Amino acid sequence: MMNSMSVPSKRSTLERKLDKLILTLFGGLFFMCLIGAIGSGVFINRKYYYLGLFEDVEQQFNPSNRFVVSILTMFTLITLYSTIIPISLYVSIEMIKFIQCAQFINKDLRMYHAETNTPALARTSNLNEELGQVEYIFSDKTGTLTRNLMEFFKCSIGGVSYGVGITEIERGQAQREGRALNEIQKSDTVVYEKGFNFDDDRIMRGAWRNERDPEIFKEFFRCLALCHTVLPEGDESPEKIVYQAASPDEAALVTAAKHFGFFFYRRTPTTVQLRESHVEKMGNIQDVSYEILNVLEFNSTRKRQSVVCRYPNGRLVLYCKGADNVIYERLAGTNQDIKRLTREHLEQFGSSGLRTLCLAYRDLTIDTYENWNEKFVQAKSSLRDREKKLDEVAEMIEKDLILIGSTAIEDKLQEGVPDCIDTLSRAGIKIWVLTGDKMETAINIAYACNLINNDMKQLIITSETDAIREAEEKGDPVEISRVIRDSVSHDLKRCLEEAQQDLHIFGQKLALVIDGKCLMYALDPSFRVDLLKLSLNCSSVVCCRVSPLQKAQVTSLVKKGARRITLSIGDGANDVSMIQAAHVGVGISGLEGMQAVMASDFAIAQFRFLKDLLLVHGRWSYIRLCKVITYFFYKNLTFTLTQFWFTFHTGFSGQRFYDDWFQSLYNVIFTALPVIILGLFDKDVSASLAKKYPQLYKEGIRNTYFKWAVVGVWAFFAFYQSLIFYYFTTTASENGHNSSGKIFGLWDVSTMAFTCVVITVNLRLLMACNSITRWHHLSISGSILAWFVFIFIYSGVMTPNDRQENVYFTIYVLMSTFYFYLTLLLVPIVALFGDFLYLGLQRWFFPYNYQIVQEIHRDEVDSISRTEFLEIGNHLTPDEARSYAIAQLPREKSKHTGFAFDSPGYESFFASQAGVYVPQKAWDVARRASVRSSKRTSQR
Amino acid sequence: MNNSAASTSSGSGDVPAPRRNSNRPKYSRFTQQELPACKPILTPRWVITVFTLIGVIFVPIGVAALMASNKVVEIVYRYDAVCIHGNTKDEKVAYIQNANTSKTCIITLTVPKDMDQPIYVYYQLDNFYQNHRRYVKSRNDAQLKDSDKANDTSGCDPEKTTPDGSPILPCGLIAWSLFNDTYSFSIGNQNLTVNKVGISWKSDRDHKFGDNVFPRNFQNGTMKGGASLNESIPLSQQEDLIVWMRTAALPTFRKPYGKIEQNLRVNETITVIIQNYYNTYSFSGKKKLVLSTSSWLGGKNDFTGIAYLTIGGLCFFLATAFTVVYLVKPRKLGDPSYLSWNRNPSGH
Repeated sequence: MMNSMSVPSKRSTLERKLDKLILTLFGGLFFMCLIGAIGSGVFINRKYYYLGLFEDVEQQFNPSNRFVVSILTMFTLITLYSTIIPISLYVSIEMIKFIQCAQFINKDLRMYHAETNTPALARTSNLNEELGQVEYIFSDKTGTLTRNLMEFFKCSIGGVSYGVGITEIERGQAQREGRALNEIQKSDTVVYEKGFNFDDDRIMRGAWRNERDPEIFKEFFRCLALCHTVLPEGDESPEKIVYQAASPDEAALVTAAKHFGFFFYRRTPTTVQLRESHVEKMGNIQDVSYEILNVLEFNSTRKRQSVVCRYPNGRLVLYCKGADNVIYERLAGTNQDIKRLTREHLEQFGSSGLRTLCLAYRDLTIDTYENWNEKFVQAKSSLRDREKKLDEVAEMIEKDLILIGSTAIEDKLQEGVPDCIDTLSRAGIKIWVLTGDKMETAINIAYACNLINNDMKQLIITSETDAIREAEEKGDPVEISRVIRDSVSHDLKRCLEEAQQDLHIFGQKLALVIDGKCLMYALDPSFRVDLLKLSLNCSSVVCCRVSPLQKAQVTSLVKKGARRITLSIGDGANDVSMIQAAHVGVGISGLEGMQAVMASDFAIAQFRFLKDLLLVHGRWSYIRLCKVITYFFYKNLTFTLTQFWFTFHTGFSGQRFYDDWFQSLYNVIFTALPVIILGLFDKDVSASLAKKYPQLYKEGIRNTYFKWAVVGVWAFFAFYQSLIFYYFTTTASENGHNSSGKIFGLWDVSTMAFTCVVITVNLRLLMACNSITRWHHLSISGSILAWFVFIFIYSGVMTPNDRQENVYFTIYVLMSTFYFYLTLLLVPIVALFGDFLYLGLQRWFFPYNYQIVQEIHRDEVDSISRTEFLEIGNHLTPDEARSYAIAQLPREKSKHTGFAFDSPGYESFFASQAGVYVPQKAWDVARRASVRSSKRTSQR
Repeated sequence: MNNSAASTSSGSGDVPAPRRNSNRPKYSRFTQQELPACKPILTPRWVITVFTLIGVIFVPIGVAALMASNKVVEIVYRYDAVCIHGNTKDEKVAYIQNANTSKTCIITLTVPKDMDQPIYVYYQLDNFYQNHRRYVKSRNDAQLKDSDKANDTSGCDPEKTTPDGSPILPCGLIAWSLFNDTYSFSIGNQNLTVNKVGISWKSDRDHKFGDNVFPRNFQNGTMKGGASLNESIPLSQQEDLIVWMRTAALPTFRKPYGKIEQNLRVNETITVIIQNYYNTYSFSGKKKLVLSTSSWLGGKNDFTGIAYLTIGGLCFFLATAFTVVYLVKPRKLGDPSYLSWNRNPSGH
């Protein structure tokens, strides 16, 4: 709850900028009205006797009080020019965005994940175009970049490394270095199960018995099978059992034990029962019940976990597993060889991006145990500082350990992550990884994801320095904070200097790695500017060991400090605040819980779908909305300006140039539909090209299409066109316009002008389109046709009502003259002449990138991907089938961050079992409920 | 979302094969945004082609329009200054408003070119805001059309009723200010008859002004705005009124007065006797008499022709200029080196 924030309501940056535009328009409106109002005050005069301005004339036209005339005219003009404010714009935008979400994003087959049967989901329709302008992505690691699928991958037992698999990272490294890896074909008998991706003929299927020291293997397997807090669920057979674990690492370890022949099948409050194979001799299977005497739970300071158990034969053993440095500190002084070899293996595993744990055991005598147990019970029942006391007591028995070996678990990357990250970074998007993991893991994953490579200079700000550790040992909180503060300040300055130098002199790319503790101080207002400056200079940033709140703080830092568009992507409850803090929050829907999705704006099943979401949907939405907005702006400005020019010729009286109905229906019918079609269907480059040329996305980041300059160009042409409309239609109006010498009146001229406006504005839209579907044709010709149908009916009918029959028959009068047709040909072409020339010159001499791409691929027919899509989901490759099958398994109900023992709910999970009250955490509730129910089944 | 969650966890038993409640979106060209579309690219070739095309179309039209306009012979004579006595504005206004002064004014016009009948006679007013908001709405169309609504004078302020309260027909400022100068033409001793029938649009005569609506109480007020109407002629035949009430778009406007159905030869001298009643002196408006023939395009109107010619010429010029540029320094279509990230590879 501490990390939760109030849910913000998000509006897109584009819309905020639109507000500014609207405000400007209001300013323009006011300015126009002011001119008109002043003019009317100056104009009004009794000399125009035909206006009947007698003594008793109404205030609005009373020349005796010109000020009142001005004020009243102002109000008249406001209603007259109100068309400059595109009210229907908001409605149109909402409509377009809604369809974009509901029809395009939600139904995109490219973002449909067949394995989890999850399509993309837009949870808000506010932020489509924001997706086209994202510059910073903040990504959670686990479950987002990685699968949260821990697979037992390698192990080191008694100083010998086992396991033949090759990790993605090793493969990537080999590729970078140009080495060929000889992949060992896995044997046919290899087992595939969630959490287990291990094969080595030396230990599988009981072969370990033939190794040099079988006893240590037994200890290794028993440690895996006994030292954990996993609950078995379901049928007690190896095939059907389901392990409920606080972290997937635990489940992976227990699963591994199962495959090694130490099948953990039942837990009672005091015992753990194993079905052990090959112990006495090959093929022998026996059920053994171990009594669990104490559980020394995991927490982040201890970084280890132990159980004390009693064998059926009375042997008392303490099994311990934990982080390498913690275990190594507590080893007995013997067996240096194993220690050295194991450490080598640990380093190897670590550099391959694997997560390691050390396993150790200690034989206890009954006396030692009884003595210790007394203290343990005391500590457990103490009321004050229980946690601390328990830690102290645990410390007393977790010593003189004997190292068994280590495990290495692969944190599998999500499919397509490195490629996606590569594409996104070429699109000018900077990706920051915010993770709860320890620094080494985080850096490893960053390497694996192409976020950091060897060409980059790594700037590391860490709290794991000697000075800080020393201060921490002294335990004075004031002193600790001072030391860290100083070191952070120093590091920041140093890094900033280095960054300036490297970036500007050597042009080297930089990567910043910072841990949560330092971040806490770096986020302090006094360092914040430095941190921001430094991190904005870095191509990638990795924040490790950060709390959910810090994730949100980092996001807000960039959002508010750099004023760039940010996107957060995460899958779990700990990402919620970050998702809410960013401009756009994306939740990974699929294996994890729903919290992230519920807080997000968009939910996708896979990280790699970001590519489609941003480069295709976001980019299109952005471009479309920019066009819609600028076009709306243009069409209303043009229309209103013709009215404005007319005002000058009417004695500033506020006479309408157009009939009321023309004015009302202009936005609603005659120009409404085409712009919506544009907002839905305009496509500058196809989806595949948008992904092939990710650099096109930069135009969105720079907001190329909705700058004031762009608006200015539109405004200029609106101005030009309105002058053309007004003067071309009125200039010749004093002459006769047909062979019988008859003269047009006001309403004839205005109908002609309006016809020209409707045609021109609709044709201008066509010129703005990059792709023209038949919907464009239909809507544009439909709109123009609608005008003619309307005017034919409207001016053809006399109503019995008391309305002014101003436009009666005007269109027929107009159509009886050649002049009308000549004007109809002349005016739109002259009006669009400027735009056409501008577009032609712009494309010719200053082409946008997308225009070049269009030209490169101008002869290619858009490949219709229908067939490609039809294949999805119907035929699964064996690999897909496997991952699908895994996805179909009951879902992991745990939240995991980082290193195997780091799960935030771990303590309380343990505590609930021990019946100890621990303050509730949000992400715990659901899990605890499920644990309780499973406990009942297991005790049955 | 709930669906997917439910189906993933519930379907644990049956492995890949057929999935019944799949959330897989259905393929349609609309949702996948793959509607067939044509993608016009405004290549230099297109630009040149379009400009040439516009030029090809516009220049002949321009020539035709200009020729038509040139064929029209127009005589414009401003008479407001010569037909008044007095030097200051006040004197002029006093003169024109005095019912006893003689308003007759004789002018002579010389025909510059042969004019074939029909020759249209117009009067042209200047600085007369027929499009003023107060003026435009000061009428009642129902009253003009329908004899039953003769008393309906709503909207006609301030010319609704006579001082004694009887409704005016036609009411309103427009009708009240009806133009009342008259012209009579003669060549030598021979009078030229001015036919005033058919100078208004037929739709106005037939539908907007009733043939059983007669003027009543018109110009009976204390102040006379303009012409009076013959109360025995229905409105649909009062074409001067009909023409006047089709309010003009701009403050400078022409209205048809009648037509002379007789050819005029070059250098003939026309004597015009003007009854200069209408007061434009208050607001310093000009009055002009216009005699004009007409073409298929209407009266003298150089503007349209010139506009067509200018645009057509400009298009030809641009087409040529672009062609030269295109030939001298062509831009290769779709040259990847134009892509911004290829132009400066440092990636900014």
